[in-house]
Amino acid sequence: MSVAPETVWEPKIIGFFCNWCSYAGADLAGVSRINYPPNVRIIRVPCSSRINPYLVLRAFQHGADGILISG
Amino acid sequence: MPRIGVFVCWCGSNIGGVIDCPKLAADAGELPGVVLSTEYKYMCSEPGQNSIIQAIRDHRLDRVVVASCSPRLHEETFRKTLARAGLNPYLFEMANIREHCTWVHNKEPEKAQVKSLALVSRAVAKANLLEPLFPSSIPMTKRCLVIGGGIAGIQAALDVADAGHEVILVEKEPTIGGNMVKLDKTFPTLDCSACISTPKMVSVSTHPNITLYTYSEVAGVDGYIGNFEVTIRRKASYVDHSECTGCGDCQTKCPTKVPSEFNLGLSTRKAIYIPFPQAVPNKPVIDAANCRYFTTGKCKVCQKICTTEAIDYEQQDTVITEKVGAIVVATGYQLFDWAAAYGEYGYGRYPDVVTGMHFERLVNAAGPTGGKIQRPSDQSEPKTVVFIKCVGSRDPAKGKEYCSRACCMYTAKHAHQVLEKIPGANVYIFYIDVRTPGKGYEEFYQRTISDGAVYVRGRVSKIYQMGDKLVVRGSDTLLGRPVEVEADMVVLASAMVSSSGIQDVARMVSVQVDKDGWLQEAHPKLRPVETHTGGVFVAGSCQGPKDIPDTVAQASAAAAKVCGLLSREELATDPMISTVNQAICTGCGLCVPACPYQAVELKTITERIPGHAPRERTVADVNSGLCQGCGACNVACRPGAMQVKGFTNDELVAEVDAICL
Repeated sequence: MSVAPETVWEPKIIGFFCNWCSYAGADLAGVSRINYPPNVRIIRVPCSSRINPYLVLRAFQHGADGILISG
Repeated sequence: MPRIGVFVCWCGSNIGGVIDCPKLAADAGELPGVVLSTEYKYMCSEPGQNSIIQAIRDHRLDRVVVASCSPRLHEETFRKTLARAGLNPYLFEMANIREHCTWVHNKEPEKAQVKSLALVSRAVAKANLLEPLFPSSIPMTKRCLVIGGGIAGIQAALDVADAGHEVILVEKEPTIGGNMVKLDKTFPTLDCSACISTPKMVSVSTHPNITLYTYSEVAGVDGYIGNFEVTIRRKASYVDHSECTGCGDCQTKCPTKVPSEFNLGLSTRKAIYIPFPQAVPNKPVIDAANCRYFTTGKCKVCQKICTTEAIDYEQQDTVITEKVGAIVVATGYQLFDWAAAYGEYGYGRYPDVVTGMHFERLVNAAGPTGGKIQRPSDQSEPKTVVFIKCVGSRDPAKGKEYCSRACCMYTAKHAHQVLEKIPGANVYIFYIDVRTPGKGYEEFYQRTISDGAVYVRGRVSKIYQMGDKLVVRGSDTLLGRPVEVEADMVVLASAMVSSSGIQDVARMVSVQVDKDGWLQEAHPKLRPVETHTGGVFVAGSCQGPKDIPDTVAQASAAAAKVCGLLSREELATDPMISTVNQAICTGCGLCVPACPYQAVELKTITERIPGHAPRERTVADVNSGLCQGCGACNVACRPGAMQVKGFTNDELVAEVDAICL
C-alpha cells in the first residue's frame, strides 16, 4: 500500500485473540457499541498458547506495525 | 484448487447500514479461490441458508465463507447448513464483520469498508486450506455423581435415579438433609420442613439406584465428560454400619458431651452420636477428636454396651473410586460469620444475639427447647424480639454486596412465629428494603404486618447489654430520627455464603468460582445449571443464594440435563483438537509438559519399512477425550508434527498474510 504524503500515518495492528475470553470480549465491545479505532484486525485462536512467535514475526514481515496478543 | 463461495450478510442495517455490502461482495469475488461472491439481507434466515445450499449445488462450491456476525453466535448454524447441502461442516469459515467492525466503527464507514475486506480476505485465505474434519465418539458411563446431600443433592439424585440411572451421592456430614432439615417451618405455606424433607431422605437411602456415601468427601476427579473417575474418601466412623442396628444405646451411655453441630451449639451431643433422630443413615459415628478413648486411651464404654459388636476403634479412612459420566455439584451454603465482622453487634459476646438458623432450632418442636422460644442466656421467654436484616448481605463494607434472597421471607416467618407463640410479644424488624418476589410471598409479608410486626426502615448501629436487656440502637430513615429498642432477644438475618471447601470442589471439577465465591454457571440466563466444564452441572445454593423452591427447581433442572446426557450411548467430540503426524514426530516429548490437560503421552510404535528390519520408535499420542484443542502442544512442537485441526500452522500463517494486506 502506498501512503500519500498528506495522509496521517495509521499503524496497522494485528490482534491474536483467544476464542474463550478476549475474542468474546471483542464481541462484547461490539454488542456494547464501544467504538475503537479501526486499525486493529483480529485473528481468532483457540487459546493464547496457540500463538507461535513465528506468527508474530510473520505479521511484522507482512507490514504489521503492532501485535496485540490477548488471552 | 478449492471453489470458495463468499456470502456477505447485511444483517439488516447492522452491517448494511454502515458498509457497502454489494461492493464488499464484489471485492471479495477477486480473492484467490473465490468462484462466487454474493450478498443477502439476512444470511442466517431460512431463505438465506437455502440460498447457500442452492449456491453450493449450482456452483459446485467446496468451501464456504460467510461474512456476518461473530462465529461464537452463528458458526454452528452455518455448519449445519453445509451439512444439509452434503458438504463437510468444517469446510466453513466466518468473517466477523459485525461485532468486530460495523458495530464498533459505525462512525468511520470508509475505514470499516477497508477493514471488512481485510477480515473477509483472512477468512478466504484460511478457507483455501481447510480440510474436512470428522468428530469421533467417546463412550458414555451411565452413572451420575452428586456432591452434597442437602435438598438440592437429594432432589437431583432422586430425579436421576427415578429416570433409571445409577447415582452416587456423597455427603461430608454423617447424615444427609443439609440445612433444610434444620429448619422449623417453611415460608410462605408454613409446611413443617422436616416433614417434607425427611421422607425424601428416606427415599434416597432406600432407592435401588442410589448408592449413598455419608461422612465421605470427594478427594479427586479425573477424566472428562462421560468418563469421569472419582476418588471418594470415606472417613472412619469407627462403627461398622453393616452390624449396627442404630439402637442408640451407645450414645446414651457415652460419657463425653460436646456442643451439637446440628443444634448450632444450643444443646449437646455425645462423642458417639447420631446427629438427630431422623438422620439418614440412622447410625452413629464416633467423633475421634472428642472421644475419651481416642484422647486418653481409656473408656470403651460404647464397645462394651454394643450388643452387635459394631464398634471398631481400628477402623481407618478408606478410599474408593467410582466411574461416572456426569457430576452434579450441590454443596450448598453456610451462614456468614457475622461475629467477626460486626463488632457493633457484640462480636458474638451476647448469648441472646443469635442468627436466624439458631432461631429455627429454638422454635422447632424437635429442637433443644421443644419448640419454646427461649433466650439462650437464661431460658426465659423473650417479650420483645428485634430482627435485623441484611447482616452481611448488601453491605460491601463489612460483608457481601449481594442480597441473600431468602432472609426477608424467613424473617417475616420468624416474626409471625414469635407473635403466634408468645402472647403480647413485641416484634421489631430493621430492614433496608423488603423483597418478596415469589408466589404467595408478598401476601405472607402483609399478613405479618397485620399480625403486629413493626417494620423499621434503617440499619442498627449498636447493640449493648443493659441489665438483662439488649439495647438496640438504630435509625428510622423514614421518620429521620434515631430509634432505641430494649429487646430481650435479637435475631440476625445473616448472609448466605458459599460452603467452606467450595474452592477445593471447584478446582477438582474445573468449574470457575465467581467474585463472591459461588460456582459460575455457563450462562446466567440460558444455561443456568450447566458449567463451562462438560458433564458438570450445578444445583442449589452453591451457584448463588436461593430459597427452597428455587433450589428444588434448579436441582430438577440439573437432573434433566444429566438424564439427557446419560440417555446417549456415546458422545461426539469436537474434532478441532490436536493430532500428531507420527511420520515426522521425533519423540522429543516437549509437547507432554506443555499440555495443561495431560492429554499428550509418549508411546512406542513399531515401524515397518520394506527392506528393513522392524524398528521401534517413540512418538507423541493425543487422548482425544482429554484434549481441549488449545494448541499449546502445537507451539511446542519443533518439527511441526503436532497440529490443532482447524488451527494448523499453515492456516494461521495464511490468515496472517491475508489480514496484513
